[in-house]
Amino acid sequence: MILRVVVGLVYAFLVLPMVVVVLAAFNAGNYFTFPPQGFSLRWFANFFHRREFMQALWLSTELAFWTALASTVIGTAASVVLVRGRFRGRDLLNAFVTSPLLLPQILTGVALLQFYTLLKMQASYAALLIGHIVVTTPYVIRTVTATLTHFDLALEEAAQSLGAHPVRAFFEVTLGVIKPGVVAGAIFAFAISFDNFTLSLFLTSAKLTPLPIELFAYLKYSFDPTAAAVSAFAIGVALVLVVGISRFMGLEEFTGF
Amino acid sequence: MSRGARVLLLGPYVLLLTVFFTVPLVLMLLISLSRSSFGQIDWALTGSQYVRFFTDAYYLSVLGDTLWLGVLTTVACLLLGYPLAYHLALTRTRWKPLLIVFILSPLLVGIVIRCYGWMILLADRGLINETLTQRGWLAKPLPLMYNKFGVTVALVHVFLPFMVLSLTGVLKRIEPQLLEASQTLGASPRRAFFEITLPLSLPGILAGSLLVFSLAISSFVVPILVGGFKVHVLPMVVYEQVLSVFDWPFGAANAFVLLAISVVLIAVYIKVTERALRGIV
Repeated sequence: MILRVVVGLVYAFLVLPMVVVVLAAFNAGNYFTFPPQGFSLRWFANFFHRREFMQALWLSTELAFWTALASTVIGTAASVVLVRGRFRGRDLLNAFVTSPLLLPQILTGVALLQFYTLLKMQASYAALLIGHIVVTTPYVIRTVTATLTHFDLALEEAAQSLGAHPVRAFFEVTLGVIKPGVVAGAIFAFAISFDNFTLSLFLTSAKLTPLPIELFAYLKYSFDPTAAAVSAFAIGVALVLVVGISRFMGLEEFTGF
Repeated sequence: MSRGARVLLLGPYVLLLTVFFTVPLVLMLLISLSRSSFGQIDWALTGSQYVRFFTDAYYLSVLGDTLWLGVLTTVACLLLGYPLAYHLALTRTRWKPLLIVFILSPLLVGIVIRCYGWMILLADRGLINETLTQRGWLAKPLPLMYNKFGVTVALVHVFLPFMVLSLTGVLKRIEPQLLEASQTLGASPRRAFFEITLPLSLPGILAGSLLVFSLAISSFVVPILVGGFKVHVLPMVVYEQVLSVFDWPFGAANAFVLLAISVVLIAVYIKVTERALRGIV
């Protein structure tokens, strides 16, 4: 009984800031107080009318799309070797390909900024995109590896003994079976890129600002609920993505619970 | 699988990672060993940046504060996360997917947004203070933000999911028969918890703590937004040196101090978890 109360309180703690942001976004007043001062969509209207936010939203969406696409393709290909390949140094390679996940992103960000600057590539779209691909691909590898481990190789062998070329056998049999993991990985990569702040901060310029950076810049100078509307919108996107992941893979398998 | 196929499939990512991850990190190490003269890098091999860091009382106190905040965050995450993970590992409720969404959602909602949520709650004219003062329960607002308290609360919120994920994995693998056996033999549920569940979940406690600690000491969005530049931590020094002061060698040296701490923790973490933890880490 006590456990339940404690657990309930911790869940409340987890969702509280998000709930508050969403309520503030629909609240009519400048300051969010309790009880709320009435319902209003004016902060959303302000969000959708401000050019800088719209440009940032578009940039983030586009960036997340290309990031997810690229990291899913190279991450899935890499996973196949990592799960099936039998060769020396596989464990070392496994640690290497997931290392961007473990290294604090601020370090990756600083290192890439210095590298790009010396190459005169700083603040370009390509530089930002590559940075995002580097940090999202390990997530794809994690999810795809998890589904690929359960895959029964006999299926692919059967296809091959029936005359299918190994490549065709992979695309028509294996990919069909591991699709949930691949799609969940792609959605997750999209979410990570769409919300990425730390890495982007070091790779952006005045002309190239994804939504989280734009929001951060806005929050430094003003505290009005337009920021809440932007945040509520992003929370909505995140929820849609979580539902997407659970439809394809099941959250229990995705988190390894 | 043939060697050619392996190279073709794994090659692109390994190449990408080498050029855009390993090389930049090596470059950063070289920059940290160079000198800075008038905003330009004067290539050399000297440890002067590190000497400057470890002999300056200010930077040492920043390092101390960073580690202290990391400890506070880790302990709080453990105390809040353990009951949650314990419940999640044992529960058979049909609401479980929803509970997982609750735990995952902070991970998928950007860090700026989560900080903003805490700013709305903790600010001097924020929800908590405004509500309390308007009712006359408080004469003046409580100092909840722009200090270590606020930063710790937000850090705990940001990294709690990682602790829960690490703990749940381990707790789920504990055989229920062990607990049944101990109770059949007359142990109270309380004693069974302290003598069986808790010791068996130690690897998860250690893994989760190392992970949360290494994430917490490298966070700088939380100290900037919720700490309002008033709580100084190492990642913030890195950020300022690189993006405001443009002293790259010193910034890089600061980054490497942080990196050295992380690498040691990560090495221990990998040793502790042995088989790579599945799921999101």
